[in-house]
Amino acid sequence: MIVRSVALRHGRHAIASNFLSRRFLASQVDSIEAAAENSIKQLQSLETQLNSGVPIPEPSAEPDLFSRSSTVAEQYQLFKQQQKLTQTLGSDISAHYKPHTLLSNPPSPADVTLELLLAAEAHQGHATSLWNPANARYIHGVRQGIHIISLDVTAAHLRRASKVVQEVSKRGGIVLFVGTRDGQDTAVVRAAQLAKGYHLFERWIPGSITNGQQILGKCATKVMNEKDEVVPGFDEQLYERPVLKPDLVVCVNPMENYVLLHECALNNIPTIGVIDTNADPTWVTYPIPANDDSLRCIQVIAGVLGRAGEAGQKQRLELAEKGQITYRPAQGLVAPGEDDLTTASPEVNQEIREKVFHDTESIVDADELSDKIDADANHEGDGRRIRVTS
Amino acid sequence: MGRYDFRPFRVRQTAKALFDSKRNASLPCWYDTVGNIPPSETLARPILRAPRPKGVKKPSRMFQPLPIVHPEDRLRTEFFGDHPWELARPRLVVEDSGNDAKEYDWSRIVQPGKQLDGESVVQRQLWLMKHSKFSKAHAYDVARREFYKYRHLEEIRQRVAKEEALSTGAYFGKGPLEIGMELEDRTWESWKVWAERQIDDEQQARAQMFSGPQDEGLSGEEMDEALEVVQPVVPDSKEGQPALGGAAIHP
Repeated sequence: MIVRSVALRHGRHAIASNFLSRRFLASQVDSIEAAAENSIKQLQSLETQLNSGVPIPEPSAEPDLFSRSSTVAEQYQLFKQQQKLTQTLGSDISAHYKPHTLLSNPPSPADVTLELLLAAEAHQGHATSLWNPANARYIHGVRQGIHIISLDVTAAHLRRASKVVQEVSKRGGIVLFVGTRDGQDTAVVRAAQLAKGYHLFERWIPGSITNGQQILGKCATKVMNEKDEVVPGFDEQLYERPVLKPDLVVCVNPMENYVLLHECALNNIPTIGVIDTNADPTWVTYPIPANDDSLRCIQVIAGVLGRAGEAGQKQRLELAEKGQITYRPAQGLVAPGEDDLTTASPEVNQEIREKVFHDTESIVDADELSDKIDADANHEGDGRRIRVTS
Repeated sequence: MGRYDFRPFRVRQTAKALFDSKRNASLPCWYDTVGNIPPSETLARPILRAPRPKGVKKPSRMFQPLPIVHPEDRLRTEFFGDHPWELARPRLVVEDSGNDAKEYDWSRIVQPGKQLDGESVVQRQLWLMKHSKFSKAHAYDVARREFYKYRHLEEIRQRVAKEEALSTGAYFGKGPLEIGMELEDRTWESWKVWAERQIDDEQQARAQMFSGPQDEGLSGEEMDEALEVVQPVVPDSKEGQPALGGAAIHP
């Protein structure tokens, strides 16, 4: 099919020039045969032009398609006509695994199915001689010398962990995603981006929590209000404040990060970890039994947890729009512009007490008062509540 | 327990204790969350096998995971035992959705999106045993012959594609036969050098034992006669080896 190949190779220019000069509308073209017929007609017209001796406009270096004389609308129309001709050519590729979609569009907790986990190789454990018997509950059986992790157990634990991440994000907690192996950095960063959390893909510096003031003391911190807007003017006060610690740590390779998980345990921080058949499930608060050696599995798990964090953050901001705050604001900060720096907390508490007294005639119990103060502090928001983040 | 560290597990209780004893001014933000979504049970081991009777010295395997066995496994060992080189074929292990095997219809041995493999033979055999009610051996033979037919077609396709490529100007690197011949030639040359050295050593040793001139060996005519006798057996010679038979023809 020499004619067709010529038309395809030079078709763009030939069709373009012909369209401009002859208004060759290809709106009825549906099949390749019709396109071939068109190109045959064009070649025949070229032939007649040659025979008649009329000078043919030579294809210049800059074809008519890109000439300045045609408007954007004409160019777009040309493009659309060419697209219609060429769109249906080529083979039909059926749905298949596209690795980049796990990072660009990760699955959410509702999309977690056993088939997804199977395709992500989450069921492949280590050799049977290397197992930790504490994981016996998560193992389905032995095949080809390795332990096979039960995918229904994996799915259940993953959904549980994602709910924890969602709720902690909703309450404005600091979530840290850690993945220090080769190739885990993109997954961990993407999860942190979605959940508006923090990531770590290089080696954890031992003592970052237990000796945080020394190691992270020089890190910048900032004050944000409930709508995630930075509130300026707190630099001096922040300088004296203690270093922040995460409220939840998600570790994707706990076998290499024992020190991090131990520091979290010492400082009473809940942890989530991907536990393989040779890992110790007591190192983390919420184990997710899965294959930590497969990058695809890690991308699925980190993606799901990131999506859960994203949902939690969305809930938090929606409530903030309505004026409800889901967290306990930072204590000991004075709004900038105030003269009195020493009586920060009592002032705030005084305000709450005054409000409470205005609302009720008499208060019977100290417990009742403390309950009312707590309720007030937790739920009320008048734009002056503040939260410290780094 | 002594060896276990349950601090990650008891994070909530510790937070409550610290708050109740006024060590911490407030409860952490995750306190309610961890209370509503408690961590799963840890270190529990399910019983999987029957316990051993009393009075036996070996430890019980009650808690060890069970092997996963499928009926196809025996068929696989049979097929790959008969066709060991099928194991050498490269295999694509990446799955698309996990539901790849759902659309397969084993009334035919070739499935779209699946390599023609020993696995296809085994699945086809199972289908025939189940649906066409063939015996295991009969189903194996039917599936096997379909497999051979499609492998033959594949080989023809590959050969024709190579010929087409060569005829339109493609060039390839050295094939395995060519590389093998080069390696053999190199080994042959190094052996020749070694052999000549050995001959020299032997001659010198013989010369030491006896006095007087040693004979030079065969004369020119005698050497030619001897060579003619030995010629067909020598691999690296001009005449080459006599052909012993034709190439195998597929049934």
